[in-house]
Amino acid sequence: MKKQNLKLPLWLRKIGLIFTILGPGLITASADNDAPGIATYSSAGSTYGYSFIWIIIVITIGEVVIQEMAARMGAVTGKGTADLIRERFGVKITAFAMLCLLLANLGTTVAQFAGVAAAGELFGVSRYISVPVAALLISFLILRGNYKNIEKLLLILCLSSLSYVITVFLIKPDWGLVLRDAITPNIQFETDYILAVLAVIGTTITPWGIFYLQASVADRGTDMAKYGQTRLDVMFGSAWGNIISAFIIITTAATLFTAGIQVNDAQTAALALRPLAGEWSSLLFAIGLLGASLLAVSVLPLATTYAFCEAFGFERGLNRPMRDAPIFYGIFGVITMVSMLVVLIPGLPLFRIMVLSQSLNAILLPVLLILVLILANDHQLMGKWKNGTVANVLSIGMTVLIFIVTVVLFAGELL
Amino acid sequence: MIYLSQLLNQKVWDAFGHVVGLLDDILVNSTEKQIAPVAALELRKARPELRLIDAKMIASLWPSITLKVDISKVEPYQPKGHELPLKKRVLDQQIVDIEGRRLVRVNDLQIARQGDSFFLTGVDASSSGLLRRLGLEGLSKSVGKAINKKIATHVIPWEFVASIEHDDPLRLSVSQSRLVQMPPADIAAILDDLDRHTSKALLQGFPNEELADTLEESSPEVQQAVLSQLHPERAADVLEEMDPDEAADLLADLDDQTSEQLLRLMEDEDEEDVRTLLAYPEDSSGGIMTTEFAHVPADFNVGQALDFLRSSEDALEDEFMYYVYILDEQGRLKGVISLRDLVTAPLDKPLSDWFDDDPVVVNPLTPQEEAAYLIAKYDLMAIPVVDPATHVMLGIVTVDDALDTVLPTAWKKKLPRFAGR
Repeated sequence: MKKQNLKLPLWLRKIGLIFTILGPGLITASADNDAPGIATYSSAGSTYGYSFIWIIIVITIGEVVIQEMAARMGAVTGKGTADLIRERFGVKITAFAMLCLLLANLGTTVAQFAGVAAAGELFGVSRYISVPVAALLISFLILRGNYKNIEKLLLILCLSSLSYVITVFLIKPDWGLVLRDAITPNIQFETDYILAVLAVIGTTITPWGIFYLQASVADRGTDMAKYGQTRLDVMFGSAWGNIISAFIIITTAATLFTAGIQVNDAQTAALALRPLAGEWSSLLFAIGLLGASLLAVSVLPLATTYAFCEAFGFERGLNRPMRDAPIFYGIFGVITMVSMLVVLIPGLPLFRIMVLSQSLNAILLPVLLILVLILANDHQLMGKWKNGTVANVLSIGMTVLIFIVTVVLFAGELL
Repeated sequence: MIYLSQLLNQKVWDAFGHVVGLLDDILVNSTEKQIAPVAALELRKARPELRLIDAKMIASLWPSITLKVDISKVEPYQPKGHELPLKKRVLDQQIVDIEGRRLVRVNDLQIARQGDSFFLTGVDASSSGLLRRLGLEGLSKSVGKAINKKIATHVIPWEFVASIEHDDPLRLSVSQSRLVQMPPADIAAILDDLDRHTSKALLQGFPNEELADTLEESSPEVQQAVLSQLHPERAADVLEEMDPDEAADLLADLDDQTSEQLLRLMEDEDEEDVRTLLAYPEDSSGGIMTTEFAHVPADFNVGQALDFLRSSEDALEDEFMYYVYILDEQGRLKGVISLRDLVTAPLDKPLSDWFDDDPVVVNPLTPQEEAAYLIAKYDLMAIPVVDPATHVMLGIVTVDDALDTVLPTAWKKKLPRFAGR
């Protein structure tokens, strides 16, 4: 019962300390920069150059506000998002919201497996091997309940996204130009551009990110007197993820956009890391992609299943035997199987799928945001912790913005 | 059978076919333990004085909600403050199914007529309740036909349900008295799935002994959350009720200052037991041993030993007592005898003829897995823990605690809800 870690050497404890401090930020950052995230930012940066940075700035504000809202709801109520939606809105609206969540998360899970496939192909492994192996391995680890250590390993692999930061300082972009583009709003009215904007929004502010954050804050049982600390963690984490995203855009813009290369697959995306890693760039890129997608694959199907079962009151939890919770294990299995099989469709453009899944995320996001906004403004539920004016203005603004962009997209398609 | 979902938003008619309003909620009296009579109907789109209508006025609820009298003679209901609004507080919420020992979500509520009154009879937590709410009852029937099986509507009787609202003291105590009937492991599993506020509120109302039993089965997070909310005096009382090894585990997870304070508040004997255990590493035999075991002096005969056990404090505290250990004056282990052998032995024979004088032992630093292995190998129910230098017996590792190291309890295996906890 003595604390075992007292025996660890000092240097190891110090590293451990850094990890605890970076914990929430690191996880959120990795969630932002999962496989579809890397794909989306690379593709946007290589196609539209620095001009996408200002969009990142707008999204960062939106994400910080929305994530803080979710964290606050978790801390005040101690409940998950799905719980609150069901208890406040009843069965019909819950069913609709869960359908949207299921679709969005299914799309994102497909994208994660696409990330595994793309990374595998950089290593020279066929997707027909890498994807089923990854799916089986991760499912097995999760069902056995001993994946906590694997999570740490995957987080470390994800640190390779930091290589973009290093690359930027190696290639020394024209900071004046970057800054000018970052503060000059630039809008184009073509389908591809709008899809890219939606993808960047959808990969940064995700439905599952909201569910994930609220649940983990609720589970940690934050004392409202100490909520200030949690709020700071959450805001810092959200901002941190977006700084990395901005660096991915700067890297790809400086290396690929200027060279006239558009990222359409993993090979070209990896070229952006060439100034740092030379001929090892595709290896570095593949490792980051693999770590990020495996991490997300191990969280996403499970998170979706929990939310679904929570909302409808089905027995859930990995501590329940399969015969007691058939729906729980059934949904988990179906999500994993379906997303795996989609990726295995011959000739499927992996990178395109990764980006488009995130556009879908963004299109479905307002449904969830509206519900979350109503909940966060509910005086009975939130008491004195309900939304303030600033949070409302910014988050409603973000919701409306996404909605308008979506309308423009569909209007553009129809006209 | 009438379901709440079929009644909500329906028109409420008076005796002469005038619309009084739309049904918004049904209030029941649920302070009684078993039955919950309907107290009033809550209406909207009605005249302000007709928002709440006394249940006495109801002529029928199904197929249409009609009142016995003319709209002008409808008696409003005077709320007494303890009514439970079904739509607002029960429908769509989570409740504990006491019989099924699980947490369920209320998909619908069943109301029945008896004589002139209406009662809330049960909670529908089944999938057919969900489909009814979605307006897909027909689907449920045709699916049922297709698979040639009727999709069962499972209604849990209201008396076997514990609603879990932490802000309603009256009903909370009813729920607590129902929950306490369940085995502690099941209570702990349910509390682990509940939100923190509710599980804390529920546990705090438990009697000390039940609280201690439940805490033993709970995850460290729940243990700490609950303990930190108790008054230190009561926290110490609860710790005394727990098995010393479990109490030590819990205290080891607290910060040093708090655990020191609680230890001082505990009774000296319990405090000493726990302090001994706290000194051993978590994964050692010392970490999971219990210090409460039955023992007798070596020079007794069988009859004296049995008399001694009846009055021995240590024997009383040995929850398990499968074996009786034979110690010398210094507390050194001389042998072991099973209670069965002791009881069946002739009263006047010396103990030394009957006990096993070379028992298998472990020392406090022996890894748990090894203790578990020895218990399995020699088919033991408990293994004594002995100080390697002095041979003084310190405690026993029981088979259930050893089993825990091989087959972790539910919460140890459980992944956090979102894998991020």
